[in-house]
Amino acid sequence: MAYLSVEALSKAYRRNEVIRDLSFEVERGEFLVVFGPSGAGKTVLLRLIAGMVLPDRGRVVLGGADITRDAPDRRDIGMAFQNFALYPHMTAYENIASPLRSRGMARAELDGRVHGAANLLRIDHVITHLPKALSNGQKQRTALARALVGEPSMLLLDDPLRNVDAKVRYEMRLELPRLLRARDTTVIYVTQDYKEAMALGDRIAVLGDGRFTQIGSPETIYNRPADSRIARLFGDPPINLLDARRDGAAELRVASNSVALPVRRSNTVASDCVLGVRPEDVAVSLEPVAGAVPVEIDAVTPLNDRQVMLLRADDGTEIFASRPQSEQIEPSAGNAHDGIGRGRRRAWATLDIERAHFFETRTGARLAEPALRPELAR
Amino acid sequence: MSSQLLRALRIVLMVMVGLFFLFPLLWVVLMSFMTNVDILRSPPSPFFVPTLRNYLALISGHLSTSSGNVQIDYMHNLLNSVILSVCSVVVSLILGVPAAYAFARYKFRGGEDMAFTLLSFRFAPPLLVLLPLLGYFQTLHLYDTYFGLVWVYQLITLPLVLWIVRGYFEDVSEDIELAYRLDGHGWLATFFKISIPLARPGIAAAGLLSFIFAWNNFIFALILGSSDVQPVTVGALAFITASGIEYGQIAAALVLSVIPTLVLAIFTQRYLVEGLSLGAIKG
Amino acid sequence: MDAVTYPPIERRQKGRFTVSARVLPYLLSMPALLVCIGILVPFITAVLYSLQRYNLAFPMGRRFIWFGNFVSLFRSSSFWHTVYVSLAYTVLTVGVELLLGLGIALLLWRRSLITNLLSVLLILPLMVAPAIAALMWKLMTNSNFGVLSYLVSLLGFHDFRWGASPNTALFTVVLVDVWVYTPFIAILLLAGLRGLPRQPFEAAELDGVPGTFVFFRILLPMLLPYLLTASLFRMLDSIQQFDIIYAMTQGGPGDTLLVFQVQAYLQAFTFTDVGRSSAILMVLWAITYALTTVFMKNWTRLRERAHGMA
Repeated sequence: MAYLSVEALSKAYRRNEVIRDLSFEVERGEFLVVFGPSGAGKTVLLRLIAGMVLPDRGRVVLGGADITRDAPDRRDIGMAFQNFALYPHMTAYENIASPLRSRGMARAELDGRVHGAANLLRIDHVITHLPKALSNGQKQRTALARALVGEPSMLLLDDPLRNVDAKVRYEMRLELPRLLRARDTTVIYVTQDYKEAMALGDRIAVLGDGRFTQIGSPETIYNRPADSRIARLFGDPPINLLDARRDGAAELRVASNSVALPVRRSNTVASDCVLGVRPEDVAVSLEPVAGAVPVEIDAVTPLNDRQVMLLRADDGTEIFASRPQSEQIEPSAGNAHDGIGRGRRRAWATLDIERAHFFETRTGARLAEPALRPELAR
Repeated sequence: MSSQLLRALRIVLMVMVGLFFLFPLLWVVLMSFMTNVDILRSPPSPFFVPTLRNYLALISGHLSTSSGNVQIDYMHNLLNSVILSVCSVVVSLILGVPAAYAFARYKFRGGEDMAFTLLSFRFAPPLLVLLPLLGYFQTLHLYDTYFGLVWVYQLITLPLVLWIVRGYFEDVSEDIELAYRLDGHGWLATFFKISIPLARPGIAAAGLLSFIFAWNNFIFALILGSSDVQPVTVGALAFITASGIEYGQIAAALVLSVIPTLVLAIFTQRYLVEGLSLGAIKG
Repeated sequence: MDAVTYPPIERRQKGRFTVSARVLPYLLSMPALLVCIGILVPFITAVLYSLQRYNLAFPMGRRFIWFGNFVSLFRSSSFWHTVYVSLAYTVLTVGVELLLGLGIALLLWRRSLITNLLSVLLILPLMVAPAIAALMWKLMTNSNFGVLSYLVSLLGFHDFRWGASPNTALFTVVLVDVWVYTPFIAILLLAGLRGLPRQPFEAAELDGVPGTFVFFRILLPMLLPYLLTASLFRMLDSIQQFDIIYAMTQGGPGDTLLVFQVQAYLQAFTFTDVGRSSAILMVLWAITYALTTVFMKNWTRLRERAHGMA
């Protein structure tokens, strides 16, 4: 049985339903990432589970007990906040000790546990400082130590790495799973960084308009997004969403060009659809290629070890392409040093239609794939 | 050249401002150390042999006037001021801080109406309420009691505490309170260990301002009390209108009545300015 | 790493008394509610008084006469004199204090040792009880020994009698009010000035924009919220002024300074006419209520703006 189960939860502020009839379950020891753009209701959801906000309808069940109306201090939930929420008038030590103090723990044990937690998060050297004397990274480590030290059965992490610098964020991303797995803690982690979601989550729940539009493993979300909006949220540069129309038996019309439609797809696309092609599935060539879309190269920017190109088809459709930096495009004959990116130039983009996603034009929903079982579409 | 002139002008202006606002205080302080002979000398002179006679007479309560000795217990008025102001502030803080928290944290039915009523009556003419209250106080035997006056003083001190402290509570992050609750602490512990310490500057400012407003109040005790409970503001007026009291003693009485607030103001200047501007702008 | 392992933390089952989140705000604001009632009950009583013939000297004659008190008020010249004096007092004090306060705030804008010291010292008059301030000025303007009387006589005004003469009484109490309350406006505006962004002024200086333009088109609009709040606060206080006038002259000489509250006080306690006194106070209350409503509208807007900026 699920450890945390949220049943038909709803919460409205002034008639604006922030959480709409939301249900989901989290297993014991699972790491669930709640992902969504800002304003999607992530923070309200956490506050509902934490007991800061009471729902209009629905139930929250934790470890078999209905805690919907329990006060926050009786819920046995730990939480870390985006803005750290440290007690500014208490030292790091007292901050961490707070959950233990509320239980009236004996001094020696309390001291041992606080130092243990501080050790674990490597902040033992600053434990006597007040929060204002700590760096953002140390603040978040203190906040995490405070959330962990009481060994809560459930941990809520509200975008904890948002306000720390890139290095700390990277370290923590590696460290967190180790810390949490060791304790078999059940975690709900909120973020709006898709890479963080992919790196940390056992499962990812995508929140949009107050409900989950998809829950699944990172691989599922990335490879089989339930709709075009989700597909757009995961990936940088974002997936290309191209309007396509059925053109004859085996062709699709994309960006005023005809592209061959794979046979197994011939039943999915009735008339028109939206074609989702990830930038890494767009091959660019400076020579004409059969079935490729003729484009102008508008801009080229490096992104990590890859090169991102903004292409513009003749009818104005914009297409992103991304490829490894190392992979050279053959320079055209007689113009040896003419690399990509110096002004506009003509190129041909081949869309890997085999790997493309097909979405319904009107709703954006993923079109059924006959080759694979349609699953987790909700 | 012209900028130098401007500079000189600025300094002259500042000296004038300083003179206008400080001279009366200074002069009354000087007067309080003068004998009647020194005071009546014309032209008035700031050079004289200072004497403590006026203060000693006030403290002992035996005042020599032109028509013989009089017994006026001005120190009792001073004590009344202390009792009334301190009690009013303490009561206001005890009642007002939790209410300010409620107004800041919870959007509840009737909350804004209450807030509005309090604010609009903060500016209503005090006599309007005092006249009927006089009748009620006499039937309830609250007339001429500290208890009754402290109660009425809440009309000025409580709204002040509510409005200033509310602003500070609104600035306390809800996340910090939630974090403390999740640590397993109850509502009451969170209120005392988190909310109040974090709003402490506001509570200090509100307490100080309330104290000063209470200390400076005149009309409440004028109407609702006799000299047994009246503070220095009313006592000083009775003092000055009593015939034949030496001017130096009047000056000393005035100085004694303003010393507490002035000293308090100098030491807590920052809180006061913050409280004053917050009370006005932020509410 | 710490080798000590601890047993799992015991979950303390707390069975103590808890208050529902819905009841809590009402419980907390109970005192505020009580004070509201404490104000509203006597207020309603005062409304009733104002509609009665109620003279303590003739308790038998007490009865409802509806708007009789108001009708007789509006027909009496002494009431219109009260209205006139109150308005004159308000306009004079608020006007002078605003101008002077703005001037002082501008003078102290730039931080230096002197301005910092002066801004601290400026608080002192504000801390003096208005009634005591009036008494202090009374001492200084005494015709026998008052230092101000002497200084004025040096200027050629030998028979300047300050509060004792109908010609100068208003001037004298306005002076005391200005002495007490100008620092309030100056401090408020100074806080406003020091909180203003610097860029517009630096830009104007670089562009060589004339000083008058900077003052009227940049500085004043930016200070407007502060000016508005300060003047409304002061107006509400001035129109109800009692302490200074009562302590200085008891409303005299003659009827020179019988402003609303002093007039009402005399009606109630000297002439024992509680009905008439309450009627006067109701008129005053109507004025302050109107001003407060205007103020509240601005106040909520300013408050929202202040919060939006934070």
